Amino acid sequence: MTNPSAAVATTVSKIYGSGDSEVRALDDVSVQFEKGKFTAIMGPSGSGKSTLMHCMAGLDALTSGNVSVGGTELAGLSDKALTGLRREQIGFIFQAFNLIPTLDAEENILLPLSLGGQKGDAAWIDQVIDTIGLRDRLDHRPSELSGGQQQRVAVARALASKPAIIFADEPTGNLDSKTGGEVLSFMRRAVTDLGQTIVMVTHDAVAASYADRIVFLKDGKIAGEMTEPTPDRVLDYLKHLGE
Amino acid sequence: MFRLSLKMTLARKGRLILTSLAIILGTSFLSGTYIFSDTLNKTFERLFSDVFRDVDAYVRSSSFVEVDFGGEQRSSTPIEALETVLAVPGVKDAVGDIQGFARIIGKDGTPLGADNGPPTFGGIAASNIVGLWNIEEGRLAVGPTEVVLDKASAENGDFVLGDKVRVNAQSGSREFTLVGIANYGDVSSPGGATFALFDQPTASEFLLKPGLVDAFLIQGDGSLSDEELANAVDKALDPADKLETLTGAEITEETQGQIQTVLNFLTTFLKVFSYIALGIGCFVIYNVFSITAAQRLRENALMRAIGASKRQVATALLVEATIVGVLGSLMGFVAGIGISRGLSALLKAFGAELPTKGLTIQTSAFVTTMIVGVLVTIFSAVFPALRAGRVLPLAALRDTALETIGSNVKRFVIAFIILALGIVAIMAAANDAPLGVLGLGVLFVFTAVLIMGPGISRPVALTLGQPIRKIRGVTGGMARQNAARNPKRTARTAAPVLIGVALVTAFASFASSFKSEIRDTIGSQFKGDFAISVSNNGFGGLPITLVDEIGALPEVAQATGLGFATITLDGKGRFVQVINPKTTAGLIDLEMVSGSQSALSANGILVSDTRAIAKDWSIGTPLDIVLVDGTTKTVTIEGTFVASGFTGSYVINRDLFADTTNTLFDNSIYVTLKPGVSADVARAKIEALSSEKGLGKVESRAEFIDAQSSQIDQFFGIIYGLLFLSIIIAIVGIVITLLLSVFERRREIGLLRAVGMTRGQAWESVTWESVITSFIGAVTGIVLGIVMGAVLITVLSTNGISTFRLPVGTTIFILIMAFIVGVIAAVYPAWRATRTDIISAIATN
Repeated sequence: MTNPSAAVATTVSKIYGSGDSEVRALDDVSVQFEKGKFTAIMGPSGSGKSTLMHCMAGLDALTSGNVSVGGTELAGLSDKALTGLRREQIGFIFQAFNLIPTLDAEENILLPLSLGGQKGDAAWIDQVIDTIGLRDRLDHRPSELSGGQQQRVAVARALASKPAIIFADEPTGNLDSKTGGEVLSFMRRAVTDLGQTIVMVTHDAVAASYADRIVFLKDGKIAGEMTEPTPDRVLDYLKHLGE
Repeated sequence: MFRLSLKMTLARKGRLILTSLAIILGTSFLSGTYIFSDTLNKTFERLFSDVFRDVDAYVRSSSFVEVDFGGEQRSSTPIEALETVLAVPGVKDAVGDIQGFARIIGKDGTPLGADNGPPTFGGIAASNIVGLWNIEEGRLAVGPTEVVLDKASAENGDFVLGDKVRVNAQSGSREFTLVGIANYGDVSSPGGATFALFDQPTASEFLLKPGLVDAFLIQGDGSLSDEELANAVDKALDPADKLETLTGAEITEETQGQIQTVLNFLTTFLKVFSYIALGIGCFVIYNVFSITAAQRLRENALMRAIGASKRQVATALLVEATIVGVLGSLMGFVAGIGISRGLSALLKAFGAELPTKGLTIQTSAFVTTMIVGVLVTIFSAVFPALRAGRVLPLAALRDTALETIGSNVKRFVIAFIILALGIVAIMAAANDAPLGVLGLGVLFVFTAVLIMGPGISRPVALTLGQPIRKIRGVTGGMARQNAARNPKRTARTAAPVLIGVALVTAFASFASSFKSEIRDTIGSQFKGDFAISVSNNGFGGLPITLVDEIGALPEVAQATGLGFATITLDGKGRFVQVINPKTTAGLIDLEMVSGSQSALSANGILVSDTRAIAKDWSIGTPLDIVLVDGTTKTVTIEGTFVASGFTGSYVINRDLFADTTNTLFDNSIYVTLKPGVSADVARAKIEALSSEKGLGKVESRAEFIDAQSSQIDQFFGIIYGLLFLSIIIAIVGIVITLLLSVFERRREIGLLRAVGMTRGQAWESVTWESVITSFIGAVTGIVLGIVMGAVLITVLSTNGISTFRLPVGTTIFILIMAFIVGVIAAVYPAWRATRTDIISAIATN
């Protein structure tokens, strides 16, 4: 049985500049991300993977095509509506500088909810906090947390509002492999145990192997897909993609 | 290295503009004050060299009383002596001159010229060429019913030849026929003053005393030098007349010198405020350099890593400071030209109109502005530059610039030592140390508070932000944390607000205490139903005949006049109150400690109890006094009264002047009505005699008390106006800090926007941060200002004010203003925050 889509991109293009200096960051890309699945987007530098993520998350405007998240079409939405959508339907995990330094861990986790003036689902938030295992660190500021702990708080924040989809941009890029592994396992659990949807941009084959499915991009186009990946298969595929 | 710094400075235009802005504001007030002062001085200098252009020698009385601020009250000259002068060989012509008080009454019954404005003169217009006046239209006044007006007054009053013109002077209120319109030298109205001109006998009788003038203006026939002429005239004069002769150059110089003294007092006053503004600007400049130095940590670390020495890094910042200092001061000087116009307008708005003709820009004003501006900028940049030089080559690359905060213990110890020194100085001033010590004490207290600033700004920010967090939730909470996250920066940003607010509050404490003191004193001393008063800076007043006219009204039970005179007493020129003891009972209550007010004899004097104690005087002590006309007398102390600062220290009987040539006016007249008389009817009758003829203003007791106490507001209004520029600089300081902070927190703002902060919320968050910062300055400033006000009033309590009143209204006003200032200062930075590009902000590299 195929799950319904959490987010869909239909023939999207993103073009920077014009004439000779024109760059097609995304060239007629169509892709969908299933609910309850962990998808990785891979590709060499400049392949458009970050651009795709930014456009699907409503952070960047498309040149053409359409994106819908949680059933909402992004085209034509005002900045205010887009902001609301990001707050309620989308979670974010960035590579670094994920947390507001003046807020403690708990305030960071609840940030999107507080910005929307909501309290959120207390039982769910409790469950999320327990899963990341940082209950005793909730009143700590980011500067008092390790890099791995900071990323786990970021994951918890992304989950707190039960968004339709979570976008992660190289979430383990700044971590050593052991800590990175912990964070990835936790993301995996969020999908398997908590039923969340995650799309992760990465260039790390090991990280990508935590996903259910990998979408490969090259030169702004979909170059291929892989399900049930292992690091070796991914590396092989990337090698083949580079030729 | 220099060329590199220059390039780096110019490459960062935004920073250059922000830093320059602080310097421009600081220096523009300075240059504005200098230009204004120079223009004012030049205007008066020209005026008086014009005025005495044709005067070769000048005869006047050698008897005078010197008063404060370089002024003097000089005795009169008998007109008979003019014959002697005219007979001196070498004298071509000579005329009498009078500059007495005369108020021209407009056709609508209101006097021409502003209350407390330029003086209103009465004088002589003579036919002789040596006279100061040139008839432009009509002819000279001849006889007791004719008058000539200066051209400006004639135009302002809409008078044409043949009109009836009412003029009030020492001898009363009279109507004259306008027969001529004259110019003073080349100008229509010198310095905005008004002039009513008569022939000599009329002027003497109406303005002074028959047979007397102020001085003689003499023109030589060219056979003698001015010195020889003056000598010849001086020899011919009767020594018994006590006259002296000056050359034209000497009288010009002396008059200019006297004006200079008065102008210097004013311009020094203005300069004090311009240096306050510059000092506040200093904080802003220092803050900008500190923040940018911290933000350039990376750049400086890189410079150090590739081999630049500490010295070179520090030098680079100082070179930038010099460039910015020169540019900013240059623009500040130009802006000062506009400010000098603004100062004229400000003083005019508060009733102190001063003539400024053209614009005098002297090299010295330019040089001073440039030197002070550049030095201040470099001085403000030294510490940040040294700190920048100390950066380690491998300094941690941080996302936000965090400035280290030194040990708070050390900070507080230093602050408390300075505070203690300040308190000692203030205590010393309370025990009669000179006022300079008091100023030093105040300066120390301010310094101590500013040093403490970074140590207390965080808890203060968190406390002030608490209610905002409660009300506004996460945006308020973040604003509160942002205001508290860089205590040094917050303290430096709030400091200009603090200084400005503390000064305003301290002045307001003074004002409200003064006002309540005035109310209490007048309330207890003045018991009548009506008061008639004038306000013309102590020049002239109400004719002393008016009080008798009012006293003769059938509705009036009693009327008494209160005037003042200048006499030399105890070796110094002093203002003394002049009363008529026979009529004061029940109207003016001096609160006598000993002796009787109504029994004061013509040769008696009442002194304040504090003065009596200080001088070891008691009832029966004889005091030698000299009147303006040179009459020496011995008066006996007949009583002491409670010192109150408003009745002054000395009271004498008006009969003391009975046989002298002194001019005497009443400054106010107090009236009680007969029982059962309608106040409205009585008021109408009193007004018909006084205010309808342009003589003073009639007020009921309540109105009078209100009006007297609100006079204080006028003076403090000017002070608040002058402090306004400091407030603007403080606002700019907040704007700059916020802009730099918003720029520095780009990633943070981008992240917040990504996870769902709306533009409105971003705006709100920056605004609350600004409001909290503004409140930190305002609240600490209010506390400091009230404490200083209370301390100063206690220290100065011997000078008339004894009770401290909290300036409640002003405090509330300042808090509201602080909120508005916070909101306004945040507009541009908040707008910039909402425009933060999310994608570039969250990009990893």
